[in-house]
Amino acid sequence: MTGRLKMDVRSQISMVFHLDKCIGCHTCSIACKNIWTDRKGAEYMWWNNVETKPGTGYPGKWEDQKIYKGGWVKKNGDGIELKGAGKPKSLTNIFHNPHMPVIDDYYEPFTYKYLDLIESPAGDDQPTARPISMITGEPMDIKMGPNWDDDLSGSPDYARKDPNLESLSPAERDAMFQLERMAFFYLPRICNHCLNPACVASCPSAAIYKRGEDGIVLINQSVCRGWRMCVTACPYKKTYYNWSTGKSEKCILCYPRLEAGHAPACMHSCVGRIRYLGVLLYDADRIESAASADEADVLRRQMDMILDPFDPEVIASAKSNGIADSTIDAAQSSPVYKFVKVWNLALPLHPEFRTLPMLFYVPPLLPVMASVTTVDNREQSEKMNPIAKQWPDSWLYDTSTKELFGTIDEARFPLRYMANLFSAGDTTEIGDRLKKLMAVRLHRRKETVGDIPEETVKQALADTGLTPQLADDIYYLTSLAKFNDRFVIPAAHREQAIEMMEFTGDVKGNTGFGFKAGTAVRGS
Amino acid sequence: MRRVTSLVGLTTLWLGAATGGATAQTSQELFQTRCTVCHTIGGGKLVGPDLQGVAERRSEDWIIRFVQHSQQLVQSGDPDAVALFEEFNGIPMPDQSLSEREIRGIIDYIVGGSSTAPAEPPPIEQATAEQILLGQALFQGKTRFANSGPTCNSCHDVINDAVIGGGVLARELTTVFSRLGGPGVRAILGSPPFPVMQRAYRDKPLTDDEVVALVGFLQQADAEQPLHQPRDYGMGLLGAGVVGTVLLLGLYSLMWRGRLRGSVNQSIYDRQITSI
Repeated sequence: MTGRLKMDVRSQISMVFHLDKCIGCHTCSIACKNIWTDRKGAEYMWWNNVETKPGTGYPGKWEDQKIYKGGWVKKNGDGIELKGAGKPKSLTNIFHNPHMPVIDDYYEPFTYKYLDLIESPAGDDQPTARPISMITGEPMDIKMGPNWDDDLSGSPDYARKDPNLESLSPAERDAMFQLERMAFFYLPRICNHCLNPACVASCPSAAIYKRGEDGIVLINQSVCRGWRMCVTACPYKKTYYNWSTGKSEKCILCYPRLEAGHAPACMHSCVGRIRYLGVLLYDADRIESAASADEADVLRRQMDMILDPFDPEVIASAKSNGIADSTIDAAQSSPVYKFVKVWNLALPLHPEFRTLPMLFYVPPLLPVMASVTTVDNREQSEKMNPIAKQWPDSWLYDTSTKELFGTIDEARFPLRYMANLFSAGDTTEIGDRLKKLMAVRLHRRKETVGDIPEETVKQALADTGLTPQLADDIYYLTSLAKFNDRFVIPAAHREQAIEMMEFTGDVKGNTGFGFKAGTAVRGS
Repeated sequence: MRRVTSLVGLTTLWLGAATGGATAQTSQELFQTRCTVCHTIGGGKLVGPDLQGVAERRSEDWIIRFVQHSQQLVQSGDPDAVALFEEFNGIPMPDQSLSEREIRGIIDYIVGGSSTAPAEPPPIEQATAEQILLGQALFQGKTRFANSGPTCNSCHDVINDAVIGGGVLARELTTVFSRLGGPGVRAILGSPPFPVMQRAYRDKPLTDDEVVALVGFLQQADAEQPLHQPRDYGMGLLGAGVVGTVLLLGLYSLMWRGRLRGSVNQSIYDRQITSI
């Protein structure tokens, strides 16, 4: 660490979602909806949503930047520019932004006329609750919902239109959707609170900002003029336009809850306990070089930006930047730091968008128990009735493989698919993480069930650079972690923030029982 | 107490002097300021008739009614009033806010003054080229009126290449000079007979210089009228608009050819069965 130029250390509230634990119950989405977006104009917004992968997601095909023009792209020379926004593009398209998702790309929000069920006059037919649009108030046909692709792996409308399948060969795609091999996993998404947020860069009114103290990206509702450039610019489509207020809105990471020491509502309510939240320290001087690196390097450079909170030099630099001791303490016990840096298990979603997202995912280790072997079915087929349906296939869906967990390379999803999601197409990065997860499973299987030879486990741990101790730590934080292990929230020091804005002596002694006016006067 | 008494006394004295000695002088002054722009006593017709011998031609009551509300009289079908109105090109006489006493005073002055030299209308100044230019600027509102009166072309139009098109709320003024003559235009500008114009300029009268400049401009516009015929584009204008619109739409669709059209979910929606 010696000899390096002075760092610009900043703190970021960061998140890890453990996808193997997500059961797709949408409780997070509902918790968020109830608190923040249950308002006129916000009905269609899901600041938190859960998608099925492979699938098109919400809004439809949001990952396809050929359609939506979100995120950053490398310029011909040095540096990067916004793909669909930026000064000249925003100015020339300011009254008509041509790359905006329409309401039908999300879905038209609806409710039902429930009162008709109890208030209808007596008649020949049962009354029904007709669906009505929450935008027009008129009766409507429900065409789409925010999770319409739920569990629909293999479906032609959703799964097969997943933009991440683009670089896969037709054979690989078909293999993914074979009946017995078909799998899917859930991808919960909130705002990534990026280090290089495209929404902030695109705003013509400068209404969007990244909070200095914790890196939460917010839209100032009194500055926003509803140009909607952020809607285009965010490659994750996590800013939304409220048609009632005429302003844009986005996930605020429940900052009022965070400031009071509570976990965000989506994380607090998570049934599978997949969500972790903690502080990461990073070097802001390296944002530009990381964001404008070659596509193969973006992920590695982003990971390099995250600093070791135990390094004395980092601590000194953090303190000189005004980061509180309590925040540094939180960074040292941050579960996010462990998953992302110490264990190297978590990856950001679509790092190739170059926004340096600060929400990391532990990739899902889909069940790989079954394999397909070739067998001769003729003998069996001859016994069957001639009118019975016969399959001419000569393979067997076999769940009795010798290696209990199979191998990563035989996973149901091609590694390339997972790499397109989490590592900008780099299959070694994603493969390393999946192998580590597999090694931890093998280790725990040996510990708890004991049906795996010790040699196999030792080999697996050694291959992935883990020790039994590390594997147990990973197991603990994955499966046994308590509330305070999963959410390490730094103190917001609101008392200091208040003292910067106003003189607290002005109200001291002026409220409560038997208060006397004028007992504390500035300067007296 | 003594001071109050003396103050009351002084005021009474002053009031008495003001009302008593003023009448004759005021009638003459009133006639000069209110009437001479349009009327003479024995000097022939101007905008309105010669007033010599008016007291013999009409009854005093009739004169008072006509002076106060000439148009009411015309509309009520009074034959004399209608004849007068038609004789003088349908220019209404402005309603004068004069009391009966004042009108009687003026009649007395006319009767008395008719024996002396006829009152001449003030000599009409011929506008210089500069004044005409000023009139042009005033008409268009490029120069404001000194008393902030509204610009002429907010209501009136004059066909002249030098000015942009004006309003259509009031009469078109290209030939006003030949219709009403210099004194008539001058009279109308000095004391507008039309209720709307009266109201608009009540507290913001035009100054004499402005009147001269405007009259000069209107005279020139009238004289140059045959030279200034705006082109009539007719259907060509509409055609140009249609062509321009088509060109612009074509340009826009070219500029935004990469725009998003419809929803990415449209193929899914298209297959759905609708009930509404």
